[in-house]
Amino acid sequence: MSLSFLVICLAGLGLYSFFFGRHRIRAISRQSELKQHSQDTYHGSFLLICTTLLPLFILIIWSSFSPLILNAMLRSKLDILAGPLSVGEMGVQLAQAKALYAGIINPAFVGDSVKQAAAYYGELVSMSNTARAVLVLSAAVAGIGYGARLLDVRFRARHRVESFAKWLMILASAIAVLTTIGIILSLIFESLRFFDKVSLSEFLFGLQWSPQIAIREDQAGGSGSFGAVPLFAGTLMITLVAMLVAVPVGLMSAIYLSEYASPRLRNIAKPTIEVLAGIPTVVYGFFAALVLAPLLRNGGNDIGLTVSSESALAAGLVMGIMIIPFISSLSDDVINAVPQNLRDGAAGLGATQSETIRQVVLPAALPGIVSAILLAISRAIGETMIVVMAAGVAANLTANPFESVTTVTVQIVMLLVGDQEFDSVKTLAAFALGLVLFFITLGLNVLALYVVNKYREQYD
Amino acid sequence: MTTTPAKITTRDVTVYYGDAQALHGIDMDIQANQVTALIGPSGCGKSTFLRCINRMNDVIEDCRVGGSISIDGQDIYDGSIDVVELRARVGMVFQKPNPFPKSIYENVAYGPRIHGLAENKSELDHMVETSLRRAGLWQEVSDRLHTSGSGLSGGQQQRLCIARTIAVNPNVVLMDEPCSALDPIATAVIEELIEELRADYTIVIVTHSMQQAARVSQRTAYFHLGNLVEQGDTDSIFTNPANKQTEAYISGKIG
Repeated sequence: MSLSFLVICLAGLGLYSFFFGRHRIRAISRQSELKQHSQDTYHGSFLLICTTLLPLFILIIWSSFSPLILNAMLRSKLDILAGPLSVGEMGVQLAQAKALYAGIINPAFVGDSVKQAAAYYGELVSMSNTARAVLVLSAAVAGIGYGARLLDVRFRARHRVESFAKWLMILASAIAVLTTIGIILSLIFESLRFFDKVSLSEFLFGLQWSPQIAIREDQAGGSGSFGAVPLFAGTLMITLVAMLVAVPVGLMSAIYLSEYASPRLRNIAKPTIEVLAGIPTVVYGFFAALVLAPLLRNGGNDIGLTVSSESALAAGLVMGIMIIPFISSLSDDVINAVPQNLRDGAAGLGATQSETIRQVVLPAALPGIVSAILLAISRAIGETMIVVMAAGVAANLTANPFESVTTVTVQIVMLLVGDQEFDSVKTLAAFALGLVLFFITLGLNVLALYVVNKYREQYD
Repeated sequence: MTTTPAKITTRDVTVYYGDAQALHGIDMDIQANQVTALIGPSGCGKSTFLRCINRMNDVIEDCRVGGSISIDGQDIYDGSIDVVELRARVGMVFQKPNPFPKSIYENVAYGPRIHGLAENKSELDHMVETSLRRAGLWQEVSDRLHTSGSGLSGGQQQRLCIARTIAVNPNVVLMDEPCSALDPIATAVIEELIEELRADYTIVIVTHSMQQAARVSQRTAYFHLGNLVEQGDTDSIFTNPANKQTEAYISGKIG
């Protein structure tokens, strides 16, 4: 029985069990004088859960492990049929046998042993599918039987459904948390492999970044150096330029929108600013590279400054514009959340509007504003596209914003594009960079949480 | 009862919120160094009227004020009036205690600072201490002036707000249900304080509690549906109201 048909059958059984449960509890209830604990629908839902939960679980487990087992069995069969095979040959024959079974290669092109293996594989698959179907459907039927026996007027189906809902939520959050942990662990382990080859101190404090390594033993100029300082310096500089643009503009527009603008203007202006956040960063990137960077270079030349055609300044300015909405929109929300009675209190003492904002509203909104800024910084650090296009890829260690620099994220892209062996130092370096980047953004988030917690209760 | 000219005079004051009229021609004379209580059911316009006296309604969009209000003979809605200065002269205490998210000291020092009332630090310290003493809070907070004002109890917070208001030396203090968020003991403390402050300030208080109006005020005005129904000496209003509506409200039949 094919997977899709099995799923349809299971769904049908589930639907049946729902109506069956509803029907059954009505019948039971008519016989009884006790007050029914849960409404009919809850009994139906409870039976639906009984019917589908275990079969779904079996289905998922079976579908994830059966290919591995079938593969192993096919492999041992091929070993018997074709004698000892090298790793490469085995791979080819395995693939051929499966392709033949699926009917996507011409049988004329493969050997006898492969044909036999394919036939054997076909048997295995159909056996596996039949076993799966029997197991799943009998579990479903058993589920209906088990659940139906529980149904009773005083049975607390409502609470059972409630706790099922709770477990569903727990499962969802567990998936999110475990994924995060998995990513971090993979980053850590791959980074450890990198640090086997390049020392931690060289990576963290080295001033030279040129991750070219030899593909052949005798290749010239192939000894890579992995000092990440220029990358972090570049990241820092571009982020700094971006924040110099985004913080004042974003914050002041937030203050204007929340404190001065009429509701009508606010309703138009706020979504308009938020559109900035919706523009794909690649668009910002070519705007920076094709419009702003030449403008800066020509303007710089006119006043006697040497501005490279790809500069940290161009990337930083455009990135700043990109993150304005993060700051303005979030700050606007927190400024609006400051209780009106604080403003009234200041106004009642004879403070002007701007005094009220500077001395009362902004201090009260500070935690939210700080976390908005930190979020924007995280965003700026992680931004890649604009930098690739506008700031270049050369790892210069410089404090001059008119020169071309590069950032951590850009280098991660550079390390991984093209054909790479997965365990080369170059590829592993990407994990190490990713890990450091992760710790930086994590640190910023922790800092933001700390600031928010420290000052949060002030106006409650 | 007095022959001196009224501190605050209002003539034909009307207030509109958009198209809805909230006050219909209020004429009142409020005497200096007296407590005037404004009573009436919710939505009767007493708070709106109070907020006209220091032009706090200016902040609300769509709010229009008509008629005239003068303090010491000067029309406060005149174009030449500086609203910021007016609000320094006419202080306000709000329904819910609203200390700024700053230290106790900074809360009280805020007004003197923005109006440049203190020449130096010691003068400012002195102002803060005097104001806190007058508000009856000094004993309780003198050892923790630099801790946050929101750490105080509700009643202490409200007295802090009163201290903050009197620190700028107003001559009128408006109070918008200052005790509605407080327990009876804190309320009694505030009421005593109001009685003491009367010597130096003209106080107008909005209250929902008839007992409070009877306890603290010398004059009472009863508002209903945006109209000033009756005003007079508190004693006579409470013992012998001229108007049927007032009598019904005071005796608890409506409102």
